[in-house]
Amino acid sequence: MKRLLKIYRMMLSQNIKALMEYRIDFIIGALSFMIDQAVGIGFIFIIFYQIPQLGGFTLDQIVFIYGFSLIPKGLDHMFTDNLWNVGYFIVQKGQFDKYLTRPISPLFHVIAEKFQIDAAGELIMGIVLVCISAGSAGVRFTWYNVLLFIVAVIFASMIYTAIKLGTAALAFRIKVSGQIIQVFYMTNEFAKYPAVIYGNVIKFIITYVVPFAFTGYYPCVYFMTGENPLFNIGGLVVISGLLTFIALIIWQTGLKAYESAGS
Amino acid sequence: MGRVLRLYFPFTRASIQSSLMYSLNMIFFSLSELLYCFVMYYLWKAVFESSGGSDFMGFDMQDMVLYLFITNVTAYLTMSDADNTIADEIKDGSISMRLLKPVSFSMSVLFKDIAGPIVMFCMVFVPMTACVEIYRAVTVGAVMFNIVNFALYLVSAVMAYLISFFMNMCFGFLAFYTTNLWGMGMFKKIVLKFLSGAVIPLAFLPDLLRNILSFLPFASLSYIPVMIYMGKYSTSELVFNMCLQLAWVAVLALLSRLVWKSAIKKLSVQGG
Repeated sequence: MKRLLKIYRMMLSQNIKALMEYRIDFIIGALSFMIDQAVGIGFIFIIFYQIPQLGGFTLDQIVFIYGFSLIPKGLDHMFTDNLWNVGYFIVQKGQFDKYLTRPISPLFHVIAEKFQIDAAGELIMGIVLVCISAGSAGVRFTWYNVLLFIVAVIFASMIYTAIKLGTAALAFRIKVSGQIIQVFYMTNEFAKYPAVIYGNVIKFIITYVVPFAFTGYYPCVYFMTGENPLFNIGGLVVISGLLTFIALIIWQTGLKAYESAGS
Repeated sequence: MGRVLRLYFPFTRASIQSSLMYSLNMIFFSLSELLYCFVMYYLWKAVFESSGGSDFMGFDMQDMVLYLFITNVTAYLTMSDADNTIADEIKDGSISMRLLKPVSFSMSVLFKDIAGPIVMFCMVFVPMTACVEIYRAVTVGAVMFNIVNFALYLVSAVMAYLISFFMNMCFGFLAFYTTNLWGMGMFKKIVLKFLSGAVIPLAFLPDLLRNILSFLPFASLSYIPVMIYMGKYSTSELVFNMCLQLAWVAVLALLSRLVWKSAIKKLSVQGG
């Protein structure tokens, strides 16, 4: 474990050096992600200019859900962005062999290789929105709520990572799976708004199949109302753990089936 | 005209053939874009249910559905990859091959680039627009499809494509000055999405902002053709907006020509 941390630190510092090379490009990238979310929030404000509540939620509550959903999304984006490349071209171009020849776990190597600073745009925006809306959204600040908040963010981030991991691992069998990651990943758009506004079929899918509702709506309902922590937080932990387990199995069996594309 | 087509059409044909190789990718891509439409659809549904009324700043639910999905399919028709084509060719030096040929640079890029919208028109636009129209006909109980508006829309969409193409040409030439276009590309994509009214209909924005944005070339990319499709313009507004589009096509064509003239002098190809 200590060794892995040391390796991670070394790879991170290499990453930062590379970032410095293209500093302006990456600042613009992070800024873009921030603007994207700011437009999304602006849109919500325009809607609330006309109506007092949406699906039973006030403006502050909607902003809280929106902001919360950006935090796990940003964390996953920051640390595991290289999984996209596995799906899009690393396997296809035969570059994956490199990871198999190193004396560390290939998965660890893939993830440690890239640190995506652009995600800071989403992360900062999410934290700011949560901070400004939490009080008026009805969140109570107790020590166990703070603890649960951290737990919820970690397990919610794992949902993102697991979905990317499981779909990226399909590339071991079909060479390119980037578009499949994209379709599953895009489902997270549903996480930004309360799940009650969707029809029952979609609600079921984003709760149990591609469980992005647990990366925003459900934990937020608990934090805002204190209702049903067993399902809203407990469900998140169970589903996220289960999904991560399945994703790891897909990855491991995929690795065994992997044949180099050669070059 | 016939000679031009004979000369440049092979660029289009080759590009269509290579993009058909990746048709599965295209289907997945449009599927994930469609997901976003559905999120917005449910959001609007909730908005209309919460507001209790059937009108939201001059749009009813029908209008909103039409706006969302037609904006989505219009994006496929106006999609231009010219910036990446140029940036990639500058980076790997293959731009010299294009310069050596006895053809116009921008024409050959245009005819290669136009393959994207042509393929998208057949594979995504036609089936999706048909679905939207069927949905409209079923919910309203009468065929709402207006052939005149549709024809005008297609003309407007072609102009929107040309605006998008010339904008991207200018943007691609930035690669002469900077080597890494990724962050800039992301920035352009996100800012354009907002300025063109693809995220928030311009009609919902505060007056001042709306007035400024509707004169900029970005509104011509998406908002104007979609409004034409929906029949939201009076005849005079229609004429005005289409003339505005035409003016932007001319201005941007001229601009991309100027940028090209100054950029070509700086071109130095490493290897290739």
